[in-house]
Amino acid sequence: MTIEIKDVCFSYRNSKELAIDHFCMTIETGEVISILGRSGSGKSTMLRILAGLEIPEKGEFRLYEETMFDGKHFVQPEKRGIGLVFQDYALFPHMTVLDNVKFGLSHLSRTERLKRANEVLELVEMGDYKKRYPHQLSGGQQQRVALARALAPNPKLLLLDEPFSNLDKELQYKIREELYSILKRAQITSIFVTHDEDDAHTIADRIVKLDKGKITKIGRPCDMLGTPLKRPEVILK
Amino acid sequence: MRKLSYYLNGWTILSVIIVLSLLSPMLPIIGGLLAPSSENWEHIKEYMLQDYMKTSFLLVFYTAVGTIVIGTSLAWLIAQYEFPLSRFYKWALILPLSIPPFIAAYTYSGMMSYTGVIQTTLRNVFNMPVNQKFFDIMNIPGAIFIYTMFLFPYVYTITRVFLTQQAASLVESAKLLGKGPWAIFFKVVLPISRAAIIGGVSLVSLEVLNDYGVVKYYGIQTFSTAIFQTWFGLGDIDAAIKLAASLMTFVVLMLVVEKLLRGTKQFSYSNTKVNPLPKVRLTGFRKWGAFGYVTLIFCLAFLIPVIQLIDWFVLTWGAIPNDEFTTYIRNSMLVAGIASVVIIAGSLIVGNFQRFAKGRIGKVLPKFTIVGYSIPGAVIAVAIVTMFIWLDRQLGSLYSAWGLDSTLVLSTSVVMLVVAYIVRFFAIGYNAIESGYDKIGVNFSLASRMLGASVTKTFFKVDIPLLKGAIISGLMLVFVDIMKEIPLTLILRPFNFETLATKAFQYAGDEKIMQASQPSLIIIAMSALAIFIFYRLLDKEDAK
Ligand SMILES: Nc1ncnc2c1ncn2[C@@H]1O[C@H](COP(=O)(O)OP(=O)(O)O)[C@@H](O)[C@H]1O
Ligand SMILES: [Mg+2]
Repeated sequence: MTIEIKDVCFSYRNSKELAIDHFCMTIETGEVISILGRSGSGKSTMLRILAGLEIPEKGEFRLYEETMFDGKHFVQPEKRGIGLVFQDYALFPHMTVLDNVKFGLSHLSRTERLKRANEVLELVEMGDYKKRYPHQLSGGQQQRVALARALAPNPKLLLLDEPFSNLDKELQYKIREELYSILKRAQITSIFVTHDEDDAHTIADRIVKLDKGKITKIGRPCDMLGTPLKRPEVILK
Repeated sequence: MRKLSYYLNGWTILSVIIVLSLLSPMLPIIGGLLAPSSENWEHIKEYMLQDYMKTSFLLVFYTAVGTIVIGTSLAWLIAQYEFPLSRFYKWALILPLSIPPFIAAYTYSGMMSYTGVIQTTLRNVFNMPVNQKFFDIMNIPGAIFIYTMFLFPYVYTITRVFLTQQAASLVESAKLLGKGPWAIFFKVVLPISRAAIIGGVSLVSLEVLNDYGVVKYYGIQTFSTAIFQTWFGLGDIDAAIKLAASLMTFVVLMLVVEKLLRGTKQFSYSNTKVNPLPKVRLTGFRKWGAFGYVTLIFCLAFLIPVIQLIDWFVLTWGAIPNDEFTTYIRNSMLVAGIASVVIIAGSLIVGNFQRFAKGRIGKVLPKFTIVGYSIPGAVIAVAIVTMFIWLDRQLGSLYSAWGLDSTLVLSTSVVMLVVAYIVRFFAIGYNAIESGYDKIGVNFSLASRMLGASVTKTFFKVDIPLLKGAIISGLMLVFVDIMKEIPLTLILRPFNFETLATKAFQYAGDEKIMQASQPSLIIIAMSALAIFIFYRLLDKEDAK
């Protein structure tokens, strides 16, 4: 059971250069992958392609047995069963936390929907904030709600775009640890994008280094030579 | 694989249909250019066309100059300075837009006439009989005065918003370089606001070319009046179509000039919030100078005509039977209501298509929604009637099959008027909706789709609730514009169908100026209310 991404190429309409240049990799179930790269290297673009929000020029993407796209097929984003946590969270401002989380559960019955929503909210420790509106939450809380909302429908793959970038430094470390344990507890295959080496090294099982849309390296954090050692967080604090 | 993105979904199809239907009435006009010419047309072309062009050009040119002078000076004063009532004037200076020019036209000529308030006061109080010559405003300069006074807010608002939001840092640095206020105004403010000013002025010019009420009342021959005359007076619809086509050419030329004037150089500004201009508090002579100037404009462009109308309103209270009056109100609301709901619904669909369409048609298609707004009412009227008569012909056999006597069903119904409104005002609604979509961005909708909701479900569950503000303001703007509309309503309404605007126009035309004040005031009150709410909403959002 693997996720297969083969030879994906993509360029934006108004530019000639490839934003994604022959992206290839396979991912095992339960793995946490980090796409690491400088700003503008194509990380968000890659996530958007996997999510179905952009249409690649060529390439294939199989999520377990199902083809998401190849030369002939293209599955619309709402049919993919992939979760995406946006960089700015994109929590619906006109819905409460609970309604936000329930939004993706319309296939369940009412009681099941509520049960599942509560379950994931507990998982991210936001059970006490159900009735609040997104603007009444802090950045870290919003991030956890966004995570809960994406987790609720049990996606086959979870994508996170710079999950820590909107948080202040101190919160980043805390949330990073939490995210790690949540992802592991939920046993969910996930890809998260970051420009921060620390983030990648702390959470990821494997790191994909991206530069100008090309993969320059794939490997376990400990195999990533030539990268600065993980800074001891104790000193920073 | 890219071709997959062109996959025809319901949204694309609907949007294309909507935009094409907005454009289809224009076909007969374009066809009219090519059709063989009639005797009337030869005559018009030979003897009159030049005059129409000259008059229209004079009206547009001097109104443009007038609105630029008044609009930008006011925008600069309000954006930059503090003086007595300056906060009140910030939005009060938009109010002149609530007075349709034709209402202002008859109000002013009523005030200036021999029996009007000005001359009687001069005669009776000051014992000063006057030369009528100086009090005649029913001529080209008079019309220019009316247009300038009641259309300058287009230039004022666009320029003021631009100055407060975008120009702050440039003005600041000019100040730091030691420039005085006049130098800053002429050397910095005017050049950088060029695009904004021209944007405002082109709206003004379109309004002037669209106008029928003022020129008809003042007896000035323009394209609009000529189209109606040829059509109804001579009964020559082909010549009317040709005139309409010439006017459209005129408009297109004007828009080309506008593009050239705007220049290709776009000043680009970051979207990040700029600090608003810190206001300078004026003192002494300057303070009262600014106050006096702004107050003078406000009085001429709003206060005086409104007071005059209220005076007439009181004098003629009860002159129009109540039930008749309610009928006018109901008719106005009915047509304006239906048309604005249709426009907003259509705008929501095209707007939603536009923001997710990746191909070229997604970018180009919405641009065509503006066409109806750039085309003067007289032209649209000709176009719509031609189209509806054609439609009726096509459906003729159906009518007889249903046992209807008439062969003209659609073209004698209120449907024709509503369709004309939709064609003409679609752009107003679309603008409001599109900027609403811009404001909410695409991420909420994408998030919704990632959670398994289809585009359509997302539209109802996420987009519409988030767009509530834009929907309300769009509805309001369109509604009010339709309430004020004159040429389309006059020509396309069914027999005996009166609205507030047509009634005001008729009373004024029949020299029953005082009676005209009643429907007029209702139109003004509703427009003023809408403007007030709309700009308050905008202001609040700016402050956020
Ligand atoms: N909508 C777009 N249109 C055109 N180019 C884009 C668009 N979005 C991103 N790009 C370009 O594609 C490249 C990759 O962008 P992105 O994936 O957002 O980078 P990252 O997320 O790694 O910072 C950049 O060069 C960026 O300028
Ligand atoms: Mg990014």
